[in-house]
Amino acid sequence: MTDLRFDDVSITYRSSSATRGDVIAVSGVSLDLPSGATLGIAGESGSGKSTLIMSALRLLPKSARLDGQVLLGGKDLKELSFGQIRAVRWAQASIVFQGALHSLNPVREVGGQIIEALEHHAKDTWTSPEKRKARMLELLTEVDLDRSKAAAYPHELSGGQKQRIMIAMALACEPDIIIADEPTTALDVIVQKQILSGLASLVAERGISLLMISHDLAVLSSVCENLAIMRHGRLVEYGPSDRVCLEPAEEYTKQLAGAFPQIGDPESRMNPRTLKPAEVTRAQPLTMSDEVVLEAKNLNVSFDTRQGRERAVRGVDLALRRAEILAVVGQSGSGKTTLARSLLGLQEVDPGSQLSFQGQALPRKAKALRTFRRQVQMILQDPSGSLNPKRSVYEAVVEGLRVQKIKDREYERVIGALEAAELTPAADYLESIPQELSGGQRQRVVIAGALALDPQVLIADEPVASLDASVRGEILSLFLALKKNLGMSALIITHDLGLAWNIADTVAVMRKGEIVEYGEVDSVLADPQHEYTKELLAAVPRLGSQSLVRNE
Amino acid sequence: MTANTPAEAAPGKPSGAGSLNPSSGRSPQSGAPAVDGAKLVRERRLNNAKKNWAMFRSDIPAMVGAVLLIFFILIAVLAPLIAPESRLDVTKQLDVPRYAPPSLAHPLGTDDLGREMWVRILWGSRVSILVGVAATVMSMVIGTIMGLAAGHFTGLFGAVVMRIIDFFLVLPSLLLAIVLSSVLERGVFTIVVAIGLTSWASTARIVRSQTLSVESRLYIERARILGAGHSHILFKHLLPSVMPLVLANTTLTVGGAIIAESTLSFLGLGDTSKESWGTILKNSMDVSAATSGYWWYVLTPGIAILLVVLSFTMVGRALEAIINPALRSR
Repeated sequence: MTDLRFDDVSITYRSSSATRGDVIAVSGVSLDLPSGATLGIAGESGSGKSTLIMSALRLLPKSARLDGQVLLGGKDLKELSFGQIRAVRWAQASIVFQGALHSLNPVREVGGQIIEALEHHAKDTWTSPEKRKARMLELLTEVDLDRSKAAAYPHELSGGQKQRIMIAMALACEPDIIIADEPTTALDVIVQKQILSGLASLVAERGISLLMISHDLAVLSSVCENLAIMRHGRLVEYGPSDRVCLEPAEEYTKQLAGAFPQIGDPESRMNPRTLKPAEVTRAQPLTMSDEVVLEAKNLNVSFDTRQGRERAVRGVDLALRRAEILAVVGQSGSGKTTLARSLLGLQEVDPGSQLSFQGQALPRKAKALRTFRRQVQMILQDPSGSLNPKRSVYEAVVEGLRVQKIKDREYERVIGALEAAELTPAADYLESIPQELSGGQRQRVVIAGALALDPQVLIADEPVASLDASVRGEILSLFLALKKNLGMSALIITHDLGLAWNIADTVAVMRKGEIVEYGEVDSVLADPQHEYTKELLAAVPRLGSQSLVRNE
Repeated sequence: MTANTPAEAAPGKPSGAGSLNPSSGRSPQSGAPAVDGAKLVRERRLNNAKKNWAMFRSDIPAMVGAVLLIFFILIAVLAPLIAPESRLDVTKQLDVPRYAPPSLAHPLGTDDLGREMWVRILWGSRVSILVGVAATVMSMVIGTIMGLAAGHFTGLFGAVVMRIIDFFLVLPSLLLAIVLSSVLERGVFTIVVAIGLTSWASTARIVRSQTLSVESRLYIERARILGAGHSHILFKHLLPSVMPLVLANTTLTVGGAIIAESTLSFLGLGDTSKESWGTILKNSMDVSAATSGYWWYVLTPGIAILLVVLSFTMVGRALEAIINPALRSR
């Protein structure tokens, strides 16, 4: 068995641009992973956690310089020759890469890709092609996949299945250490639970050591014994995961731990944890009223697929009232996004569906739709993709005004919208282009672009899914403030039940295109009636206690 | 693709979409308070232009190409000043030896009628470069419009446009050009139309594929949510993003167009009353210059064509590398 030790590791990237100089990604980190142990490293993007674990297999790019020692089984990785490091990779330590969804070759069958790992690294153990094939099938069984999936191409598998293939690949050569880089980030809670518990039990059965990194403390704490918190390349806190999560010593750890709310915890209800809450300026904040703004009755949407007609949304009834925040939660593929697109008139609906805005049926003609979209705006999932990389913040925010031919007070409207989205001082950002902004700032620009039109309703598709924990709180508190200050209604699509607990008045749980439970957040989440809601709630990882490991 | 592309220099307004004037900036409707912002936009674009210029300057082949191009354009423009048109008049060359090989008195030799080759090359460059550039502009405009239309509009309209593109793509373009130039009235303009109409299809294909990839970006969806119609998406988002590609393609196509012009003139389909490099080549063949040992008669126009085409290509490659950073290390 092999143990992994980071001894005072610092990693610097040489940068070609003169202005940035050398970038220090990791500085002076010492960590120990004895054989059979599980260690989680948490941190936000840019904290150097990915860089650190890449050094464990010497996978850093050429521009990186490593100081200190990375010891694998007592040997300094720096001193190994290419042949030796090749023998270490996969046979002793393997990686489940971040974004496994893109790590598979789209034009080859997944079974063949697992065999590839065996051919490269373990030809001595599984000597013939038949033996390797048998091993591959055995691996599929281990990760709970059907054997027939070996002949599937990546696009035929769901996100969770692809992640399992990646794990099977990592297990292929019976490594002593598995390194998992955000293994569940793109997955919804139920699949996340399956993957994590599968990984945890495999690790426990075989005494493999697991090094896992994530931005989500709850995910790490549900699997790992020990936790390390990183920030700006430095180790902030290290200790047993229960202690780090439940009695954090450092302010930063508290912030990370608080970012993902515990459902049922009254303190985080209508109060997303953030250091920079958005200001509520109204003396009497607006609250949910009875006036229905946007309504859907018997909404059906179908798509033509190769397998025939697929019903993505089935008989959905929804009503959004003024100053109400409604969260639509569900797994991926449950039809949430299709629902949102049809509420906006972007998606053709089946005959018989009734959509109305302020009592009037949704217009169908292009011109009337344009006026309608002044009232109802949508924020897309990925703020980086939603902004044209060549156009400045001013141009991005003013786009809606120009499209809607609103000509008076253009400059004031833009500034006002940016300030409402809490991007202050607004004038400083006007000429920035998206790549100069952080993820949270980009999301604010997108929100400002929608706010510039003074909409009555804001529909947001996973508004915080791609953001860091600390930014998440800021954006959520912004939604709350918009509701309280402007009386805006919002429909938020998410797979994150914690988000609903944080800010929503009502919640609708969707499964396979149907709403299975719909009501006030306090009653639905505190006392779920439907099986599926219970299942969703149970799958949310809880802080501390290695819940997934012990449940097994 | 990075932000520092020439499209950055192209104004985002539809009014200026065709032109490439970086100073036109934002439209006046922004009102007074935004003037400050417009200035900053100009500054950023100026900076980008400077950066791109520095990158272009460091590329030696591109600089050689640019210098050669400027030379040819200068001699084309200044031809009447350097050598008056009367020197092409056969009746005035009676005392000049025919088929004189290159010498100090006759730097590039003389032709079968005693005209100086260098004067003919000078005057020939006017038609050759003019036709090359004009035909390319025509082919780029048609190609961009058709490519954008085929990429943006789905359904029947897009399919029909695409079939039209396919039709022109598989048509033997030289044959079509020959037919066009023999049907239409003879003249420089006819040659431009014949070349322009037959060479736009490949541009349209490239523009279409770029349009399709931009079309699937989220910011196009966001524009739709904001209420944008086709014209907004086409002119504010799609056109600026395909412009760099079109520009790089332009310089590469000019070379092809110059060769096409020479081919048509060589085949005797051009305006025989006007000098062009292709006409010189045709004359040289009429008198069997190559087999009779009058090598300068064949080589001079040939090398002139080669140099101009090569310099356009070298400049085009450099522009392509500036636009697409991924190509730089290749």
